[in-house]
Amino acid sequence: MAELLKVEGLTKSYQSKGFWFNKTQPPILDSVSFAVKAHKTLAIIGKTGSGKSSLAKILVGAESATSGQIYLNGQALKAGSYQHRCQHIRMIFQDSGTTLNPSLTIQQLLDEPLKINTPFDEKKRTELIRQTLQKVGLLGDHMNFYPHMFSGGQKQRISLARAIILQPQVIILDEALASLDPSLRSQMINLLLDLQQQMGLAYILISHNMGIIRHFSDDIMVLSEGKVVETGKTLDVMANPQHQVTQKLMMNQNFQLRSKKNR
Amino acid sequence: MARDKIYLEEVFPSPFMQLWMIFRKTPVAMAGFSCFIFLVVLAIFGPLLAPHSPVEGQLDMILLPPAWHSDGNVSYLLGTDELGRDMLSRLMYGTSLTFGLSFIVVLISLVVGVIIGSLSALTTGMKSSFLNHFLDVILSIPSLLLAIIIVAILGPGLSNTVWAVVMVLIPQFIHITRYAVKEEFRKDYVLASRLDGASPFRILYYSIFPNIVDRIMGQATMAQSAAILDIATLGFLGLGAQIPMPEWGATLANGLDLFYIAPWTVYLPGLAILFSVVATNLVGEGIRHALKLRKER
Amino acid sequence: MNLLDIRNLSIELINEDQNILAVDKVSLSMKEGEVRGIVGESGSGKSLLAQAIVGVLNDKWHVHADRFHWRGIDLLRLPMHERKEILSRDIAMIFQEPMACLDPTTSIGEQLSEAIDDSNLTGFFWQRQKQRQAEAIKLLHKVGIKKHTACIKSYPHQLTEAVCQRVMIAIALARKPILLIADEPTAAMENTNQGQIFRLLASLNQLKSMAILLISHDLENITHWTHTITVMYSGQFVEAGTTDQIFKKAMHPYTQALVDSSPMANLHLPAKSRLMTLPGSIPILQHLPIGCRLGPRCPRAQQDCVKSPAVSNFHGHKVSCHFPLLTKPNRG
Repeated sequence: MAELLKVEGLTKSYQSKGFWFNKTQPPILDSVSFAVKAHKTLAIIGKTGSGKSSLAKILVGAESATSGQIYLNGQALKAGSYQHRCQHIRMIFQDSGTTLNPSLTIQQLLDEPLKINTPFDEKKRTELIRQTLQKVGLLGDHMNFYPHMFSGGQKQRISLARAIILQPQVIILDEALASLDPSLRSQMINLLLDLQQQMGLAYILISHNMGIIRHFSDDIMVLSEGKVVETGKTLDVMANPQHQVTQKLMMNQNFQLRSKKNR
Repeated sequence: MARDKIYLEEVFPSPFMQLWMIFRKTPVAMAGFSCFIFLVVLAIFGPLLAPHSPVEGQLDMILLPPAWHSDGNVSYLLGTDELGRDMLSRLMYGTSLTFGLSFIVVLISLVVGVIIGSLSALTTGMKSSFLNHFLDVILSIPSLLLAIIIVAILGPGLSNTVWAVVMVLIPQFIHITRYAVKEEFRKDYVLASRLDGASPFRILYYSIFPNIVDRIMGQATMAQSAAILDIATLGFLGLGAQIPMPEWGATLANGLDLFYIAPWTVYLPGLAILFSVVATNLVGEGIRHALKLRKER
Repeated sequence: MNLLDIRNLSIELINEDQNILAVDKVSLSMKEGEVRGIVGESGSGKSLLAQAIVGVLNDKWHVHADRFHWRGIDLLRLPMHERKEILSRDIAMIFQEPMACLDPTTSIGEQLSEAIDDSNLTGFFWQRQKQRQAEAIKLLHKVGIKKHTACIKSYPHQLTEAVCQRVMIAIALARKPILLIADEPTAAMENTNQGQIFRLLASLNQLKSMAILLISHDLENITHWTHTITVMYSGQFVEAGTTDQIFKKAMHPYTQALVDSSPMANLHLPAKSRLMTLPGSIPILQHLPIGCRLGPRCPRAQQDCVKSPAVSNFHGHKVSCHFPLLTKPNRG
């Protein structure tokens, strides 16, 4: 299977502000390279400050890298070209409460990416919105409601609808499941798995929860201070972590699991 | 399909409707709002409804006291001034001058201020700072002084006072718009809009403005009460409305010499000014109070 | 003797149009030195329950209970101020986002010394200041902060969430409480920090035999640290028992669903397969189902479930269900 998204040597360093900024800060990202295929999920783990969120923002286009290239289906992506990029790479944020504009109805919210990026007329757009809402498990009538009428789990579904409405190929989940209750989390995971099957999406999952990562991802990449310290298949890495940072992260998870087995 | 409300239906209003429902529950704000609407109607239809002309006086009806006095005449409900002009008609025409003009002044400065403020918020660095602060020098000059300066340059007249008050109010709107837009930019849904490929103006119009309109409205009412007072003061000083325009401040100044023999020519315009300022302030307070309560929910 | 004995506590929200029973007849009991976990998702009323025990709910919530005993004293008979005095002396509470709970304008040292009770200090009043400082340093050492000089001088925003949570625990310990209520103390933290905080709480429990009421929405996370667990759903009492009983022999369908959604149970599932979940979502306060509130979602619901189930007791394992799962599920 050809690679959907390929990243080579992505680096991002702090921009020094003139003479006063004499301290040399380590770069936020240092030569990060990886590749993702369709129907596969890549998990990125690391402590806070290891550069995960910056990587997510660079991939989706919110920030630009100092150097390095991103290839989508073989084509290089230019920084700042949102219109082209947003049709292929989309992102779901962590806090669903602030990602939905409180003054717009769901229809207006989902209409916006369609109006900007597609040539459809209004009837077709409404139909597409209705279909997308049904795909994520909400009713078509929900498009007339305002965001504050929905619960947390439903708001995440709306964010997911906004992400898939442009038929992208890669979706980045930046801690999107962390704030949900466990039962809602399981429902969301089932939904994401279904969509991956149906639409052939590739996911990039950034999370702290090892249980989800173990269940949901195929490959895993460990970041520490901006550098990639370990990559590989999830099951292999979780069973035999090679690098010290990975070992520490796994130990915490295994500690909880192993001690339960001894009870 | 016709449906009667048999079940207790859950009503989920839009944010504006929420604001309106909270506003409606505060009796003081509703009282202020009804007075405000009354003044607006008067400002529009006053010239049609006034019983007599505000500028032509009947010389045989000079200085009639208001109708509830023993000497008063019921066809001149609030008395007449020294030229025999009916006070009621003068006040009604004055509404469209003082109150109506203040409304227009606030509208103009709002539009200009919001445009400059949004531009300032969209840009960064020197350009942004420049746009934000270049009118701040006007904030340091009291409005009266500015009006006197403008009048000294351009000559007295109502239109010149309007320019003076507009200039004074614009910086406030610039600041509040810039602050509100910058705050909104930090929110995640604006980032999501940007990632959708929306141009900055589109983001501004669709995503940001619906959320900041209420704050700007609160500021606008505060600006309006200041504008009413400014226009009236300038009229009082003779720099604004010229004779024989029935602007409230000018009417008040006219009656000042006759205070001991005909006090109604002074206190009636004064009460009118007080009434409009209080109504505007109550509406403004109501909006701000409702905004605070809506945020708490 | 039970430390805390609550029977049939209900919390009602009185609105102009309707009364909403946010917490519906929940019973809770704790022994000395016990770590009890309360597990429930959002909307289960667990935070309300904790706040009702401490007595910090505002006037729009009405609290009734059949029995509310603290160390043998019947609190319902006492007037409000006496009840508050007893409770504030013996119970302490820590909250979810520690950085937001500390005063951002005062240094940690000042906040800590403020919490220290005068009665613990001996000596004349000119010696008190020094004693207060010594006591503050001792408290910081107790929660595992070794660099106390740096910590005392800094402000909350300069510290990490984990350190702030430790400071919160130190402030809570200043009054030497008998019960510590922890309302989702680690919700905002990463795995490594969560482990640290839980280990600290466990050591406090063992060394000072301080009872802990641990509130969380993640069943799997706290099973390692608790002796007994109470499960709540949408304001109703669901199940209570020892951690082993709850995790291995869950009797209520909701508890079973919670156990199923934890990673531990999913170890044997193949990767990227569907997880077992209950359909639907948590009912909102305005539309609570009558009787057993899990009814609309429960796979075993039948006609009887429109009546509230009574609590049945199987050797200390309490369940509130008409049709509990009495057979052990086969774990491969």
